[in-house]
Amino acid sequence: MANRNLAKVAAVVGVGQTDYRGDWARVRAGEKPRDSVGYAADAFKVALADSGLQKSDIDGLIVGPTTAYDRMGEVLGLDVKWGGQGDAMLSVIQAVMAINAGLCETVACVYGNNQRSAAVNYGGDNAAGGGNFLSYVYHAPWGFTSQGALYAMMFRRYMEESGLTSAELAEVSVAQRLHSSITPHALMQKRITVEDYLASNFVCEPLHLYDYCLVNDGGVAFIITTSDRAKTMGGRAVPIHGVGRHDLNSGATSMIPRLTNFYLPAQQAVAAQVFDMAGVGPEDMDCLQIYDSFSCHIPLALEGYGYCKVGEAGKFMRETGISVEKGLPVNTAGGHLSESYMQGWAHQVEAVRQVRGECGARQVPDCKFAHYSSDVAGKAVSIIYGK
Amino acid sequence: MGISKIVMGLDDKPMWASIERGAMELQKCGECGAFRYPPAPVCPHDLSADAEWTPVSGKGTILSWVVFHKQYFEDHVPPYNSVAIELEEGPIVVSQLRGDEPEGSWIGQRVELIYAEHAGRTQHFARWLKPEAA
Repeated sequence: MANRNLAKVAAVVGVGQTDYRGDWARVRAGEKPRDSVGYAADAFKVALADSGLQKSDIDGLIVGPTTAYDRMGEVLGLDVKWGGQGDAMLSVIQAVMAINAGLCETVACVYGNNQRSAAVNYGGDNAAGGGNFLSYVYHAPWGFTSQGALYAMMFRRYMEESGLTSAELAEVSVAQRLHSSITPHALMQKRITVEDYLASNFVCEPLHLYDYCLVNDGGVAFIITTSDRAKTMGGRAVPIHGVGRHDLNSGATSMIPRLTNFYLPAQQAVAAQVFDMAGVGPEDMDCLQIYDSFSCHIPLALEGYGYCKVGEAGKFMRETGISVEKGLPVNTAGGHLSESYMQGWAHQVEAVRQVRGECGARQVPDCKFAHYSSDVAGKAVSIIYGK
Repeated sequence: MGISKIVMGLDDKPMWASIERGAMELQKCGECGAFRYPPAPVCPHDLSADAEWTPVSGKGTILSWVVFHKQYFEDHVPPYNSVAIELEEGPIVVSQLRGDEPEGSWIGQRVELIYAEHAGRTQHFARWLKPEAA
Protein backbone atom coordinates (compact mmCIF):
# COMPACT_ATOMS: atom_id res chain seq x y z
CA MET A 1 0.00 0.00 0.00
CA ALA A 2 1.27 3.41 -0.88
CA ASN A 3 2.79 5.44 1.93
CA ARG A 4 0.89 8.70 1.93
CA ASN A 5 1.98 9.88 5.39
CA LEU A 6 3.73 13.00 4.16
CA ALA A 7 1.44 13.90 1.26
CA LYS A 8 0.18 17.46 1.51
CA VAL A 9 1.05 17.91 5.18
CA ALA A 10 3.04 21.04 4.32
CA ALA A 11 3.13 23.75 1.69
CA VAL A 12 5.57 26.35 0.42
CA VAL A 13 4.21 29.78 1.24
CA GLY A 14 7.13 32.03 0.39
CA VAL A 15 10.08 31.99 -1.99
CA GLY A 16 12.93 34.40 -2.50
CA GLN A 17 16.26 34.81 -4.25
CA THR A 18 19.01 37.36 -4.61
CA ASP A 19 19.71 39.52 -7.66
CA TYR A 20 21.67 36.93 -9.65
CA ARG A 21 22.36 39.22 -12.59
CA GLY A 22 23.35 42.22 -10.53
CA ASP A 23 25.70 40.20 -8.37
CA TRP A 24 27.10 38.41 -11.43
CA ALA A 25 28.05 41.78 -12.94
CA ARG A 26 29.54 43.05 -9.68
CA VAL A 27 31.55 39.90 -9.06
CA ARG A 28 32.90 39.93 -12.61
CA ALA A 29 33.94 43.53 -12.02
CA GLY A 30 36.01 42.33 -9.09
CA GLU A 31 33.66 43.16 -6.22
CA LYS A 32 32.64 40.86 -3.39
CA PRO A 33 29.04 41.97 -2.77
CA ARG A 34 28.26 39.50 0.05
CA ASP A 35 29.58 36.44 1.82
CA SER A 36 27.47 33.27 1.82
CA VAL A 37 25.59 34.25 4.99
CA GLY A 38 24.88 37.66 3.48
CA TYR A 39 23.37 36.22 0.31
CA ALA A 40 21.23 33.88 2.40
CA ALA A 41 20.02 36.75 4.55
CA ASP A 42 19.05 38.78 1.48
CA ALA A 43 17.09 35.86 0.08
CA PHE A 44 15.39 35.18 3.41
CA LYS A 45 14.06 38.75 3.56
CA VAL A 46 12.55 38.35 0.09
CA ALA A 47 10.99 34.99 0.93
CA LEU A 48 9.54 36.29 4.20
CA ALA A 49 7.99 39.27 2.44
CA ASP A 50 6.65 36.95 -0.27
CA SER A 51 4.96 34.80 2.39
CA GLY A 52 3.36 37.73 4.19
CA LEU A 53 4.48 36.20 7.51
CA GLN A 54 6.42 37.91 10.29
CA LYS A 55 9.87 36.81 11.38
CA SER A 56 8.35 35.86 14.71
CA ASP A 57 6.21 33.26 12.89
CA ILE A 58 9.33 31.25 11.98
CA ASP A 59 9.91 28.44 14.48
CA GLY A 60 12.14 26.17 12.39
CA LEU A 61 15.40 26.88 10.53
CA ILE A 62 17.24 24.70 8.05
CA VAL A 63 20.35 26.10 6.40
CA GLY A 64 22.23 24.98 3.32
CA PRO A 65 25.60 23.23 3.43
CA THR A 66 27.59 26.35 2.55
CA THR A 67 26.74 28.34 5.69
CA ALA A 68 27.27 27.44 9.34
CA TYR A 69 23.96 26.80 11.08
CA ASP A 70 24.88 28.67 14.25
CA ARG A 71 26.02 31.84 12.48
CA MET A 72 23.10 31.81 10.06
CA GLY A 73 20.62 31.66 12.92
CA GLU A 74 22.49 34.39 14.76
CA VAL A 75 22.56 36.73 11.77
CA LEU A 76 18.85 36.25 11.13
CA GLY A 77 18.02 36.49 14.83
CA LEU A 78 16.05 33.27 14.75
CA ASP A 79 15.56 31.25 17.94
CA VAL A 80 13.63 28.17 16.85
CA LYS A 81 12.05 24.94 18.02
CA TRP A 82 13.70 22.89 15.29
CA GLY A 83 16.92 23.37 13.33
CA GLY A 84 19.12 21.56 10.89
CA GLN A 85 21.33 21.65 7.84
CA GLY A 86 20.89 20.08 4.44
CA ASP A 87 21.14 20.46 0.70
CA ALA A 88 18.16 21.89 -1.19
CA MET A 89 16.20 18.70 -1.46
CA LEU A 90 16.95 17.46 2.03
CA SER A 91 15.97 20.86 3.46
CA VAL A 92 12.52 20.54 1.95
CA ILE A 93 12.13 16.94 3.12
CA GLN A 94 13.44 17.68 6.62
CA ALA A 95 11.04 20.59 6.90
CA VAL A 96 8.11 18.41 5.88
CA MET A 97 9.16 15.70 8.35
CA ALA A 98 9.62 18.14 11.24
CA ILE A 99 6.26 19.75 10.54
CA ASN A 100 4.57 16.35 10.23
CA ALA A 101 6.08 15.29 13.55
CA GLY A 102 4.71 18.40 15.21
CA LEU A 103 8.17 19.63 16.17
CA CYS A 104 7.56 23.02 14.61
CA GLU A 105 5.07 24.76 12.38
CA THR A 106 6.81 27.15 10.02
CA VAL A 107 10.30 26.46 8.68
CA ALA A 108 12.65 28.84 6.90
CA CYS A 109 15.06 27.08 4.53
CA VAL A 110 17.93 29.40 3.62
CA TYR A 111 20.95 29.09 1.36
CA GLY A 112 23.73 31.42 0.32
CA ASN A 113 26.86 30.76 -1.69
CA ASN A 114 29.74 33.06 -2.60
CA GLN A 115 31.38 30.34 -4.71
CA ARG A 116 32.29 32.70 -7.57
CA SER A 117 33.70 35.63 -5.62
CA ALA A 118 35.45 33.21 -3.26
CA ALA A 119 36.88 31.27 -6.24
CA VAL A 120 35.69 27.85 -5.05
CA ASN A 121 37.27 25.03 -7.07
CA TYR A 122 35.19 22.03 -8.05
CA GLY A 123 38.21 20.12 -9.31
CA GLY A 124 41.93 19.84 -8.73
CA ASP A 125 43.77 20.43 -5.51
CA ASN A 126 41.30 20.84 -2.60
CA ALA A 127 38.27 20.11 -4.78
CA ALA A 128 35.11 21.27 -3.01
CA GLY A 129 33.08 18.43 -1.52
CA GLY A 130 36.06 16.08 -1.29
CA GLY A 131 35.57 15.74 2.45
CA ASN A 132 32.11 14.30 1.91
CA PHE A 133 32.54 12.45 -1.37
CA LEU A 134 35.71 10.38 -1.66
CA SER A 135 35.16 9.94 -5.41
CA TYR A 136 35.78 13.67 -5.88
CA VAL A 137 39.41 13.35 -4.76
CA TYR A 138 40.46 9.69 -4.70
CA HIS A 139 41.50 9.38 -8.35
CA ALA A 140 43.55 12.60 -8.42
CA PRO A 141 46.90 10.80 -8.97
CA TRP A 142 45.67 9.97 -12.49
CA GLY A 143 44.42 13.51 -13.07
CA PHE A 144 40.82 12.32 -12.73
CA THR A 145 39.14 15.10 -10.81
CA SER A 146 35.99 17.24 -10.81
CA GLN A 147 32.36 16.27 -10.62
CA GLY A 148 32.10 16.99 -14.33
CA ALA A 149 34.67 14.29 -15.06
CA LEU A 150 32.73 11.75 -12.97
CA TYR A 151 29.62 12.44 -15.04
CA ALA A 152 31.65 12.49 -18.27
CA MET A 153 32.97 9.01 -17.45
CA MET A 154 29.46 7.81 -16.64
CA PHE A 155 27.84 9.40 -19.66
CA ARG A 156 30.44 8.20 -22.17
CA ARG A 157 29.42 4.66 -21.33
CA TYR A 158 25.72 5.54 -21.41
CA MET A 159 26.17 7.07 -24.88
CA GLU A 160 27.87 3.92 -26.11
CA GLU A 161 25.14 1.66 -24.71
CA SER A 162 22.14 3.76 -25.73
CA GLY A 163 23.42 5.33 -28.94
CA LEU A 164 22.57 8.84 -27.70
CA THR A 165 24.57 11.35 -29.76
CA SER A 166 26.27 14.62 -28.81
CA ALA A 167 23.73 16.45 -30.97
CA GLU A 168 20.94 14.87 -28.91
CA LEU A 169 22.62 15.83 -25.64
CA ALA A 170 22.83 19.38 -27.04
CA GLU A 171 19.03 19.54 -26.84
CA VAL A 172 19.41 20.07 -23.08
CA SER A 173 21.64 23.13 -23.32
CA VAL A 174 19.66 24.54 -26.23
CA ALA A 175 16.27 24.17 -24.46
CA GLN A 176 17.56 25.59 -21.19
CA ARG A 177 19.10 28.59 -22.96
CA LEU A 178 15.76 29.17 -24.62
CA HIS A 179 14.20 29.19 -21.16
CA SER A 180 16.80 31.48 -19.60
CA SER A 181 16.45 33.88 -22.54
CA ILE A 182 12.81 34.48 -21.53
CA THR A 183 13.55 34.55 -17.78
CA PRO A 184 14.41 38.13 -16.79
CA HIS A 185 16.43 37.16 -13.70
CA ALA A 186 18.50 34.44 -15.43
CA LEU A 187 22.19 34.96 -16.09
CA MET A 188 22.29 33.73 -19.70
CA GLN A 189 20.02 35.79 -21.94
CA LYS A 190 21.25 34.64 -25.35
CA ARG A 191 19.96 31.53 -27.08
CA ILE A 192 22.31 28.94 -28.54
CA THR A 193 21.90 26.35 -31.29
CA VAL A 194 22.93 22.72 -31.57
CA GLU A 195 25.70 23.92 -33.90
CA ASP A 196 26.96 26.36 -31.24
CA TYR A 197 27.03 23.50 -28.77
CA LEU A 198 28.93 21.15 -31.08
CA ALA A 199 31.46 23.87 -31.88
CA SER A 200 32.12 24.66 -28.22
CA ASN A 201 35.21 23.44 -26.40
CA PHE A 202 35.33 20.21 -24.51
CA VAL A 203 36.02 20.51 -20.79
CA CYS A 204 36.15 16.80 -20.10
CA GLU A 205 35.33 14.92 -23.28
CA PRO A 206 32.63 13.87 -24.13
CA LEU A 207 31.18 16.87 -22.19
CA HIS A 208 31.38 20.35 -23.71
CA LEU A 209 31.48 23.70 -21.99
CA TYR A 210 27.71 24.06 -22.49
CA ASP A 211 27.11 20.82 -20.60
CA TYR A 212 28.52 22.40 -17.43
CA CYS A 213 26.72 24.47 -14.83
CA LEU A 214 27.54 28.09 -14.22
CA VAL A 215 29.46 29.11 -11.11
CA ASN A 216 27.96 32.27 -9.61
CA ASP A 217 27.15 33.89 -6.28
CA GLY A 218 23.68 34.07 -4.84
CA GLY A 219 21.13 33.03 -2.28
CA VAL A 220 17.74 31.35 -2.16
CA ALA A 221 15.18 30.89 0.60
CA PHE A 222 11.75 29.42 1.04
CA ILE A 223 9.21 29.24 3.83
CA ILE A 224 7.32 26.00 4.47
CA THR A 225 4.39 25.69 6.86
CA THR A 226 1.56 23.33 7.69
CA SER A 227 -1.11 22.81 5.06
CA ASP A 228 -3.73 23.95 7.57
CA ARG A 229 -2.00 27.25 8.13
CA ALA A 230 -1.24 27.64 4.42
CA LYS A 231 -4.95 27.40 3.66
CA THR A 232 -5.55 30.54 5.73
CA MET A 233 -2.93 32.52 3.81
CA GLY A 234 -4.64 33.14 0.49
CA GLY A 235 -4.25 31.23 -2.74
CA ARG A 236 -0.51 31.29 -3.35
CA ALA A 237 0.51 28.35 -1.16
CA VAL A 238 1.91 25.36 -3.05
CA PRO A 239 1.42 22.03 -1.28
CA ILE A 240 4.14 19.39 -1.31
CA HIS A 241 2.40 16.27 -2.60
CA GLY A 242 5.19 13.77 -2.33
CA VAL A 243 8.82 13.26 -1.36
CA GLY A 244 11.19 10.35 -1.86
CA ARG A 245 14.80 9.34 -1.64
CA HIS A 246 16.91 6.32 -2.53
CA ASP A 247 20.70 6.13 -2.30
CA LEU A 248 23.21 3.93 -4.07
CA ASN A 249 26.28 4.11 -1.84
CA SER A 250 27.86 0.74 -2.59
CA GLY A 251 30.86 1.12 -4.88
CA ALA A 252 30.47 4.91 -4.99
CA THR A 253 34.19 5.73 -5.14
CA SER A 254 35.00 3.14 -7.78
CA MET A 255 31.93 4.33 -9.72
CA ILE A 256 30.18 0.95 -9.80
CA PRO A 257 26.62 2.39 -9.90
CA ARG A 258 27.69 5.19 -12.26
CA LEU A 259 29.21 2.78 -14.77
CA THR A 260 26.97 -0.26 -14.45
CA ASN A 261 23.45 1.15 -14.07
CA PHE A 262 23.66 4.95 -14.38
CA TYR A 263 21.73 5.29 -11.05
CA LEU A 264 18.63 3.94 -12.81
CA PRO A 265 17.54 1.62 -9.94
CA ALA A 266 17.69 4.53 -7.47
CA GLN A 267 15.58 6.76 -9.67
CA GLN A 268 13.06 3.99 -10.33
CA ALA A 269 12.74 3.31 -6.60
CA VAL A 270 12.19 7.00 -5.88
CA ALA A 271 9.68 7.25 -8.73
CA ALA A 272 7.58 4.51 -7.14
CA GLN A 273 7.79 6.16 -3.73
CA VAL A 274 7.08 9.74 -4.74
CA PHE A 275 4.37 9.07 -7.30
CA ASP A 276 2.60 6.66 -4.96
CA MET A 277 2.72 9.19 -2.15
CA ALA A 278 1.35 11.93 -4.38
CA GLY A 279 -1.23 9.66 -6.00
CA VAL A 280 -0.19 10.76 -9.48
CA GLY A 281 2.11 9.54 -12.23
CA PRO A 282 4.61 10.97 -14.70
CA GLU A 283 1.78 11.59 -17.16
CA ASP A 284 0.32 14.12 -14.69
CA MET A 285 3.45 16.28 -14.48
CA ASP A 286 3.32 19.57 -16.34
CA CYS A 287 7.00 20.45 -15.99
CA LEU A 288 10.20 18.99 -14.57
CA GLN A 289 12.89 20.73 -12.59
CA ILE A 290 15.95 18.48 -12.69
CA TYR A 291 19.19 19.09 -10.78
CA ASP A 292 21.56 19.82 -13.65
CA SER A 293 25.10 20.37 -12.53
CA PHE A 294 25.66 18.79 -15.95
CA SER A 295 23.31 18.39 -18.89
CA CYS A 296 23.48 14.61 -18.77
CA HIS A 297 21.36 14.52 -15.61
CA ILE A 298 18.33 15.29 -17.79
CA PRO A 299 18.27 12.24 -20.10
CA LEU A 300 19.03 9.95 -17.15
CA ALA A 301 16.15 11.41 -15.12
CA LEU A 302 13.74 11.22 -18.08
CA GLU A 303 14.40 7.49 -18.20
CA GLY A 304 14.61 6.92 -14.47
CA TYR A 305 11.25 8.50 -13.71
CA GLY A 306 9.43 6.91 -16.62
CA TYR A 307 9.00 9.91 -18.91
CA CYS A 308 10.43 7.81 -21.71
CA LYS A 309 11.64 4.23 -22.14
CA VAL A 310 15.07 3.27 -20.84
CA GLY A 311 17.63 3.92 -23.57
CA GLU A 312 15.38 6.30 -25.53
CA ALA A 313 16.06 9.66 -23.88
CA GLY A 314 18.03 10.93 -26.87
CA LYS A 315 15.14 10.27 -29.20
CA PHE A 316 12.67 11.73 -26.68
CA MET A 317 14.62 14.98 -26.34
CA ARG A 318 14.99 15.34 -30.12
CA GLU A 319 11.53 14.29 -31.22
CA THR A 320 9.17 15.08 -28.33
CA GLY A 321 11.16 17.99 -26.95
CA ILE A 322 11.98 19.33 -23.49
CA SER A 323 11.14 23.03 -23.79
CA VAL A 324 8.20 25.33 -23.20
CA GLU A 325 7.88 25.49 -26.99
CA LYS A 326 7.74 21.75 -27.59
CA GLY A 327 7.10 18.66 -25.48
CA LEU A 328 7.69 18.30 -21.75
CA PRO A 329 9.30 21.47 -20.33
CA VAL A 330 12.45 20.80 -18.28
CA ASN A 331 14.21 23.43 -16.16
CA THR A 332 11.89 26.19 -17.23
CA ALA A 333 14.01 29.08 -15.91
CA GLY A 334 17.23 27.74 -17.44
CA GLY A 335 18.49 25.58 -14.59
CA HIS A 336 22.07 25.43 -13.40
CA LEU A 337 23.31 25.63 -16.97
CA SER A 338 21.73 29.00 -17.73
CA GLU A 339 19.69 30.52 -14.88
CA SER A 340 21.88 30.34 -11.78
CA TYR A 341 23.89 27.62 -10.03
CA MET A 342 22.13 27.53 -6.70
CA GLN A 343 22.71 23.80 -6.14
CA GLY A 344 19.08 22.79 -6.51
CA TRP A 345 17.63 25.61 -4.38
CA ALA A 346 16.48 27.75 -7.31
CA HIS A 347 14.82 24.68 -8.84
CA GLN A 348 12.43 24.52 -5.86
CA VAL A 349 11.58 28.19 -6.34
CA GLU A 350 10.89 27.70 -10.04
CA ALA A 351 8.67 24.67 -9.34
CA VAL A 352 6.64 26.75 -6.86
CA ARG A 353 6.33 29.67 -9.26
CA GLN A 354 5.20 27.43 -12.12
CA VAL A 355 2.43 25.95 -9.96
CA ARG A 356 1.46 29.44 -8.83
CA GLY A 357 1.31 30.50 -12.47
CA GLU A 358 3.50 33.58 -12.12
CA CYS A 359 6.26 32.79 -14.64
CA GLY A 360 5.36 35.19 -17.44
CA ALA A 361 6.76 34.29 -20.87
CA ARG A 362 8.08 30.94 -19.66
CA GLN A 363 4.88 29.91 -17.84
CA VAL A 364 3.75 26.38 -18.58
CA PRO A 365 0.01 26.72 -19.38
CA ASP A 366 -2.29 25.43 -16.62
CA CYS A 367 0.59 23.97 -14.60
CA LYS A 368 -0.91 21.70 -11.92
CA PHE A 369 2.13 19.65 -10.97
CA ALA A 370 5.88 20.27 -11.05
CA HIS A 371 8.30 17.41 -10.41
CA TYR A 372 11.74 18.07 -8.95
CA SER A 373 14.44 15.41 -9.08
CA SER A 374 18.16 15.11 -8.42
CA ASP A 375 20.73 12.34 -8.50
CA VAL A 376 23.80 13.95 -6.99
CA ALA A 377 26.46 11.25 -6.57
CA GLY A 378 23.88 8.46 -6.45
CA LYS A 379 21.54 10.08 -3.96
CA ALA A 380 18.26 10.16 -5.89
CA VAL A 381 15.68 12.54 -4.47
CA SER A 382 12.29 13.67 -5.72
CA ILE A 383 9.72 16.20 -4.64
CA ILE A 384 6.32 16.80 -6.24
CA TYR A 385 4.75 20.23 -5.93
CA GLY A 386 1.17 20.74 -7.01
CA LYS A 387 -2.02 22.71 -6.75
CA MET B 1 47.06 24.90 -8.98
CA GLY B 2 48.89 22.18 -7.14
CA ILE B 3 50.40 18.76 -7.73
CA SER B 4 47.92 15.87 -7.68
CA LYS B 5 47.95 14.10 -4.34
CA ILE B 6 47.32 10.57 -3.13
CA VAL B 7 44.48 10.15 -0.62
CA MET B 8 46.37 8.15 1.98
CA GLY B 9 43.89 6.79 4.49
CA LEU B 10 44.97 4.20 7.01
CA ASP B 11 43.83 1.34 4.79
CA ASP B 12 45.44 2.80 1.66
CA LYS B 13 48.99 2.49 2.98
CA PRO B 14 49.62 -1.21 2.25
CA MET B 15 48.21 -0.78 -1.27
CA TRP B 16 50.50 2.12 -2.08
CA ALA B 17 53.46 0.23 -0.61
CA SER B 18 52.68 -2.61 -3.03
CA ILE B 19 52.38 -0.15 -5.94
CA GLU B 20 55.78 1.20 -4.95
CA ARG B 21 57.08 -2.38 -5.35
CA GLY B 22 55.51 -2.54 -8.83
CA ALA B 23 52.75 -5.08 -8.14
CA MET B 24 49.49 -3.77 -6.74
CA GLU B 25 47.89 -5.74 -3.95
CA LEU B 26 44.30 -5.36 -2.81
CA GLN B 27 42.48 -6.81 0.18
CA LYS B 28 40.77 -10.14 -0.50
CA CYS B 29 38.04 -10.91 1.99
CA GLY B 30 38.78 -13.96 4.12
CA GLU B 31 35.08 -14.66 4.41
CA CYS B 32 33.67 -14.33 0.88
CA GLY B 33 36.80 -13.95 -1.26
CA ALA B 34 35.77 -10.63 -2.82
CA PHE B 35 38.44 -8.06 -3.62
CA ARG B 36 37.66 -4.51 -2.54
CA TYR B 37 38.69 -1.08 -3.81
CA PRO B 38 39.37 1.42 -2.42
CA PRO B 39 40.88 -0.38 0.56
CA ALA B 40 38.49 -0.44 3.51
CA PRO B 41 38.38 -1.68 7.10
CA VAL B 42 35.71 -4.32 6.42
CA CYS B 43 34.18 -6.17 3.46
CA PRO B 44 31.01 -4.37 2.26
CA HIS B 45 29.32 -7.74 1.62
CA ASP B 46 29.75 -9.48 4.97
CA LEU B 47 31.46 -6.84 7.16
CA SER B 48 34.33 -9.24 7.83
CA ALA B 49 37.59 -7.53 8.80
CA ASP B 50 39.49 -10.69 7.90
CA ALA B 51 41.35 -9.95 4.67
CA GLU B 52 44.61 -10.82 2.98
CA TRP B 53 46.58 -8.40 0.82
CA THR B 54 46.69 -10.26 -2.50
CA PRO B 55 48.40 -9.28 -5.77
CA VAL B 56 46.05 -8.56 -8.66
CA SER B 57 46.82 -9.70 -12.21
CA GLY B 58 46.66 -6.11 -13.41
CA LYS B 59 44.64 -7.21 -16.43
CA GLY B 60 41.24 -5.77 -17.09
CA THR B 61 38.74 -4.22 -19.48
CA ILE B 62 38.00 -0.54 -20.12
CA LEU B 63 34.49 0.35 -18.98
CA SER B 64 34.71 4.02 -19.97
CA TRP B 65 37.16 6.82 -20.64
CA VAL B 66 37.38 10.59 -20.76
CA VAL B 67 39.81 13.13 -22.17
CA PHE B 68 40.59 16.23 -20.12
CA HIS B 69 40.87 19.51 -22.03
CA LYS B 70 41.04 21.69 -18.93
CA GLN B 71 44.02 21.69 -16.59
CA TYR B 72 43.40 20.98 -12.91
CA PHE B 73 46.88 19.88 -11.76
CA GLU B 74 50.40 21.04 -12.53
CA ASP B 75 51.45 17.47 -13.21
CA HIS B 76 48.62 16.63 -15.63
CA VAL B 77 48.77 18.78 -18.75
CA PRO B 78 45.82 18.46 -21.13
CA PRO B 79 44.90 16.82 -23.28
CA TYR B 80 45.24 13.66 -21.21
CA ASN B 81 42.97 10.69 -20.58
CA SER B 82 41.56 8.83 -17.62
CA VAL B 83 40.21 5.32 -17.96
CA ALA B 84 37.94 3.24 -15.73
CA ILE B 85 39.16 -0.35 -15.77
CA GLU B 86 37.31 -3.37 -14.46
CA LEU B 87 40.06 -5.66 -13.22
CA GLU B 88 39.81 -9.41 -13.70
CA GLU B 89 39.45 -9.69 -9.93
CA GLY B 90 36.33 -7.48 -9.96
CA PRO B 91 37.19 -4.03 -8.67
CA ILE B 92 36.98 -0.95 -10.90
CA VAL B 93 40.08 1.27 -10.78
CA VAL B 94 40.83 4.57 -12.49
CA SER B 95 44.13 4.83 -14.32
CA GLN B 96 45.60 6.56 -17.34
CA LEU B 97 46.27 4.89 -20.69
CA ARG B 98 49.83 5.37 -21.95
CA GLY B 99 51.31 4.50 -25.33
CA ASP B 100 49.17 3.31 -28.23
CA GLU B 101 45.47 4.15 -28.08
CA PRO B 102 42.59 2.24 -29.69
CA GLU B 103 40.89 3.74 -32.73
CA GLY B 104 37.28 4.73 -32.06
CA SER B 105 35.68 3.55 -28.84
CA TRP B 106 37.94 2.38 -26.04
CA ILE B 107 35.12 0.61 -24.22
CA GLY B 108 35.66 -3.13 -24.00
CA GLN B 109 39.36 -2.93 -24.91
CA ARG B 110 41.70 -5.04 -22.79
CA VAL B 111 44.50 -3.36 -20.85
CA GLU B 112 47.09 -4.21 -18.24
CA LEU B 113 48.52 -2.10 -15.47
CA ILE B 114 52.11 -0.92 -15.72
CA TYR B 115 54.06 1.00 -13.10
CA ALA B 116 55.98 4.23 -13.58
CA GLU B 117 57.30 7.25 -11.75
CA HIS B 118 55.06 10.29 -11.65
CA ALA B 119 55.36 13.47 -9.58
CA GLY B 120 57.90 11.86 -7.26
CA ARG B 121 55.95 8.67 -6.60
CA THR B 122 55.35 5.32 -8.24
CA GLN B 123 51.84 4.74 -9.53
CA HIS B 124 50.12 2.54 -12.04
CA PHE B 125 49.18 3.41 -15.57
CA ALA B 126 47.50 1.27 -18.20
CA ARG B 127 48.83 -0.23 -21.40
CA TRP B 128 46.51 -1.24 -24.21
CA LEU B 129 46.58 -4.95 -25.05
CA LYS B 130 45.92 -4.90 -28.77
CA PRO B 131 43.43 -7.58 -29.79
CA GLU B 132 46.06 -9.80 -31.44
CA ALA B 133 48.17 -9.66 -28.26
CA ALA B 134 45.30 -9.95 -25.76
